[in-house]
Amino acid sequence: MDFEMERFMTALLDRSPPHALEHLQLVLIPVVIAFLIAFTAAMLLTRERYVKYTDRVMTIFNIGQTIPPLAVIAVFFPFLGLGREPALFALTIYALLPIARNTLAGLKGVPGDVKEAARGMGMTEWEMLFKVEIPLSMPVVMAGIKISVVLTSGTAALGALVGGGGMGAVIFAGIDFFRAELIIAGTIIIGVIAITLDRLLTVIDNILTPQHMKV
Amino acid sequence: MIVLDKVDKVFPGSTIPAVKQVSFQIDEGNICVFVGPSGCGKTTILRMINRLVEPTGGEIYIKGKKVSDKEVNPDELRREIGYVIQQIGLMPHRTVEQNVALVPRLLKWPEEKINPRVKELLETVGLDAEEVLKKYPYQLSGGMMQRVGVARALAADPPIMLMDEPFGAVDPIVRGRLQDEFLRLQKELKKTICFVTHDINEAIKMGDHIVIMNKGALVQHGTPMEILSNPANDFVKDLIGTEREIKLLELTKSEELVTRTRDMPERIIEKDCFILAIDPVQRALETMMKKNSDVVGVRDGTEIIGTISWEDIKRHINMISGDD
Repeated sequence: MDFEMERFMTALLDRSPPHALEHLQLVLIPVVIAFLIAFTAAMLLTRERYVKYTDRVMTIFNIGQTIPPLAVIAVFFPFLGLGREPALFALTIYALLPIARNTLAGLKGVPGDVKEAARGMGMTEWEMLFKVEIPLSMPVVMAGIKISVVLTSGTAALGALVGGGGMGAVIFAGIDFFRAELIIAGTIIIGVIAITLDRLLTVIDNILTPQHMKV
Repeated sequence: MIVLDKVDKVFPGSTIPAVKQVSFQIDEGNICVFVGPSGCGKTTILRMINRLVEPTGGEIYIKGKKVSDKEVNPDELRREIGYVIQQIGLMPHRTVEQNVALVPRLLKWPEEKINPRVKELLETVGLDAEEVLKKYPYQLSGGMMQRVGVARALAADPPIMLMDEPFGAVDPIVRGRLQDEFLRLQKELKKTICFVTHDINEAIKMGDHIVIMNKGALVQHGTPMEILSNPANDFVKDLIGTEREIKLLELTKSEELVTRTRDMPERIIEKDCFILAIDPVQRALETMMKKNSDVVGVRDGTEIIGTISWEDIKRHINMISGDD
């Protein structure tokens, strides 16, 4: 494979941008959905009456991450067909585990004496959750979201294989036509997306968490 | 004020009761100290009063009202009861101001009432309000954290305070100071206080009333004087330890032992061998040793009221301690 600077610039600046936007969606939509599911699950699993289901639910999330997204698409192909939806679905399943695991760890890691004092002073279960448990577990939860975002940014390239679009379309075109410029341009943009989202989340984290509470 | 009537607690999965058939009463404005070894059920009793633990038998009444009543919301009950624990449990992500204002905010006090209250409380517990208001707990020393913990429990001015080894996590010097300050505070506040400790000396110092527990059962209860002078059994004797007589002398005011006389032996005046009538008798002993004298003079303010001699103290110990 040879490399031409001009072709590379065209690939990077003309061909990639629309796909980059698709790619961003392939990352953000699954992560947001996964966050909602994982956060709710972890929150319930740390309530006294649901603790006993923790192992079972976490096993399901674990399996979700061990199955390759492509296999998920293959399994659900009869129901979802090809295109954007099955790609989003598979990526959501893939994104679940890091968020669920970190949220669970974060909520469990809230010091017992703080919870004891909070209850003893008459906080309701909801007040405990929103004023004590969630704020105190936020740094760990954010770390989970960051892992999930970076992971999904890479994996989302596979979305193109089932017609889901994204930067994968550029990379796979490069593989099919032996064009290194396309492969490199696609990879660079995925990297930029992953790093930008990670930085953005760090900024949000800094606003949400007091300086001394950082992990 | 607080009445326990045959209270039982068996924790799920356990056959041995953590608390069994405990009945007693705490009068309004008193400090009642629960003391006993770990696992004796003292903390469980405390946590049953504010329903962090539900009894499996018996009833608890606060001001004549059953706390287990269906109409009592446990969260609202707890907002009316101050709670201090050994580990303090300050919110690490909240400033001192936000920590102290916690219960008033739960009770939806107007903000303009909360701010002065927080400042007043911090000053009350001996902290410089302006200095600490905006600090986070990790920026405070252990003693300061304990003070913030007490301020937070006092914030909504609850008539009842539950304190579980509140001064247990600080060094003995700071602990002594916190105890003294708290006793001084209590003279003004007159809260009804349940205080848990494993330290009999702290119990004797802090308690108007002491409840001694062992293996979930109440062993003996009474004033510190009653317990020191008349321990119910060997367990109580062991708990009190070897310095029972000294502890008794700490509790006895000099004026109780004084032999009233205006006639001062010359050597007392020469050596300036005086104590105050409100000093504990132990002070008389210390003074005797320091000044190498077998008698001290007792003053009430500036007025000389009499003497205490070594013989007086010996006779007193023999009388109150009962044995031989």
